[in-house]
Amino acid sequence: MICLSIESVRLFPRGAVARREMDSVVAQSRELGGVEIELFGVPRLVAGERSLRVAGDTLAEAAADLGVRCPELLGTVLDRETGWLLDGYIFVVDERFTRDAGCRLTPFSAVLLVSSVAGG
Amino acid sequence: MYGVHGQALQIDLTTGAATAEAIPESHFSAVLGGIGLASLLLLRQCPERVDPLAPENPLIFATSPFVGTGITTASKLAVATKSPQTGVIGDSLSSSYLTIAIKRTGFDALVITGCTEAPSVLVIDDGEIALRPATALLGLDPATTAERVRAELGAAFRVAAIGVAGERGVRYAAISNDGRLAGRTGAGAVMGSKGLKAIAVRGTRLPAVADPRGLATAARDLATRSLGNGTAKYREIGTAANVAFFDRMGVLPTRNFQAGSFAGAEAISGERLLLNHHTDRHGCAACTVGCEHRYRTDDGGPATDVRLEYETLYALGSLCGIDDPNVILRPAARCDEIGIDSMTTGATIAWAMECADREIDLGVTATALPRFGDGASLLRSIEEIGTRQGLGDLLADGSRRAAEIVGQGSDAWAMHVKGLELPGYDPRKLQTLALGLAVATRGACHNRSSAYEIDFSDRLDPNAEAHARATAAAAAEDQAAVLDSVTICKFLRHIFTDLHEEAATLYSMVTGLPTTAGDLRRAGERITNVKKLFNIGQGWTREDDTLPPRLLTGDGEGSRLNQVWLDEMIAAYYDVRGWNIDGTIPAHHLHEIGVTGLLPAPLH
Repeated sequence: MICLSIESVRLFPRGAVARREMDSVVAQSRELGGVEIELFGVPRLVAGERSLRVAGDTLAEAAADLGVRCPELLGTVLDRETGWLLDGYIFVVDERFTRDAGCRLTPFSAVLLVSSVAGG
Repeated sequence: MYGVHGQALQIDLTTGAATAEAIPESHFSAVLGGIGLASLLLLRQCPERVDPLAPENPLIFATSPFVGTGITTASKLAVATKSPQTGVIGDSLSSSYLTIAIKRTGFDALVITGCTEAPSVLVIDDGEIALRPATALLGLDPATTAERVRAELGAAFRVAAIGVAGERGVRYAAISNDGRLAGRTGAGAVMGSKGLKAIAVRGTRLPAVADPRGLATAARDLATRSLGNGTAKYREIGTAANVAFFDRMGVLPTRNFQAGSFAGAEAISGERLLLNHHTDRHGCAACTVGCEHRYRTDDGGPATDVRLEYETLYALGSLCGIDDPNVILRPAARCDEIGIDSMTTGATIAWAMECADREIDLGVTATALPRFGDGASLLRSIEEIGTRQGLGDLLADGSRRAAEIVGQGSDAWAMHVKGLELPGYDPRKLQTLALGLAVATRGACHNRSSAYEIDFSDRLDPNAEAHARATAAAAAEDQAAVLDSVTICKFLRHIFTDLHEEAATLYSMVTGLPTTAGDLRRAGERITNVKKLFNIGQGWTREDDTLPPRLLTGDGEGSRLNQVWLDEMIAAYYDVRGWNIDGTIPAHHLHEIGVTGLLPAPLH
């Protein structure tokens, strides 16, 4: 997969605007290749970005590239050695929660990175 | 047995009598403490089909063996009574120094019945009780009440207090202790019906633990782990972190559950609040996590600084169509000051907002109706609820009763189960939670069910068949019962490798009772059955296990939830539980799981 960088959306766009922007980014992402990872909670705070576009055909590759593009996530959300998720975090791929590193991604995948601690 | 006093203080406010009643060791090993103990005491002492606001309805405060031991997050106080809001069990849990003070009195629980002749403060000083006049405190908010009581009695006293809502019998009035609320199901109204404005407690006696050295090491280790990734979300952002993610997943209840996503979600998200409104972070008594985040207004209006949790943010925000944090923070603060459950408050007002949209006659002029997105009308409605004035008198009874009174088909959008309004999780996309909410003993409660954890994980296939989903829902419910009873905060649940194994080890170290993970699992099941048995005695029927009709219109496209689906799930759940097909509990099952021996009299 070829990874091309595009400008990240701003951190906190409002409401419906946010969704439109994200839809736009995802559409652009599909055109350009790569996969957009939307960040929520601590990952968003640490990265200072609402989403990041990364390369990878699997979640493992996407996570590793995420760590390269945003080193701040290493040690807090991602393991410094493996680049994979630390305990406490989980991906949501097309509305399914998963920590399956081998999960295949396509340019059409909707990928979220969140705390695995649900609710409150 | 270590870690407990083995007795409850029974207080009859009508006669002024106070007696010590033994709590056998077998009861602790059966139901652990906390919510389990409070539920068992309620089952044993509450008359069947009693009026919740009658003097005979016990108001119970229970501690657990872990309280006062140094185990992080363990200072949780269980409050149980028959709920004036739901008519079934009303059990609440909150953390504060009051819990430790109660345990220091030499009793593990307080059981309060009767009614005072005049508004009073119940003073419990190391097991000695007295009533002091509270007339001068009437109308005060709980925090000011507590300040005044402590100023008079001494700072060593810890105080539970109600606000004006409890005095006026608002059916979802809360009890506040150190600013933490026994919030849901209306225990504050029960306290008010007994003539109590406040309870002040001081004590000096904590029981010894069985293995102090081992416990100190284990407690230190737990405290260290409590600062890891498993709680980072709560520490760094707080439960408000749910807003943006839930919105993205389409499970953020919006405009009285008319939608699952909210155009203003980012504006009221935890991430945004952290940047623009955050002031401070605190922990509960004896807690190392510190999940309590405070926020202040920034719009130049009256300054407000308030603790805010996701459930309040959802109920006063997206559910009412409010997308301005300032407009949410002020009503949130007023809920605390008036002393009401912000979740039921927001949900009941959202019901009224939809009534207004549909031009339903609520008996007031159109200008007096709350409207979606209108913060001023939200705030006005909250004020009216607290004093039961205007529309507030109707709304003070909750959405179920209000819809029954108003009629005109408005029960179709009264979003409650058993009279308790739904939490901020749209069940249409959370199937295990949907089942959990339908069958939960205290009504639509995410904390007692905890089944959302299954839906927000990779542990169960979204297409799982009914039996597998019912098994998961029952296990989540029983695990929640264990955590609420030992007592450990649910926010720690992800720091354990094996929650039941580690909690059992701690329980053994504290009590000296050899306890296994299996013992705790069985205790969790037993506690769930104790609560259900209480509900049955108070008139529960199969029809009470359901969901609001709005949620049951799924056709498999967006949502699977419909009546056929729910009936299948509930039947599977009863089967997993070993209950009859009508949801009642066979006598032999109660015997098998060790409930029969806990009852004061043979089952009917």
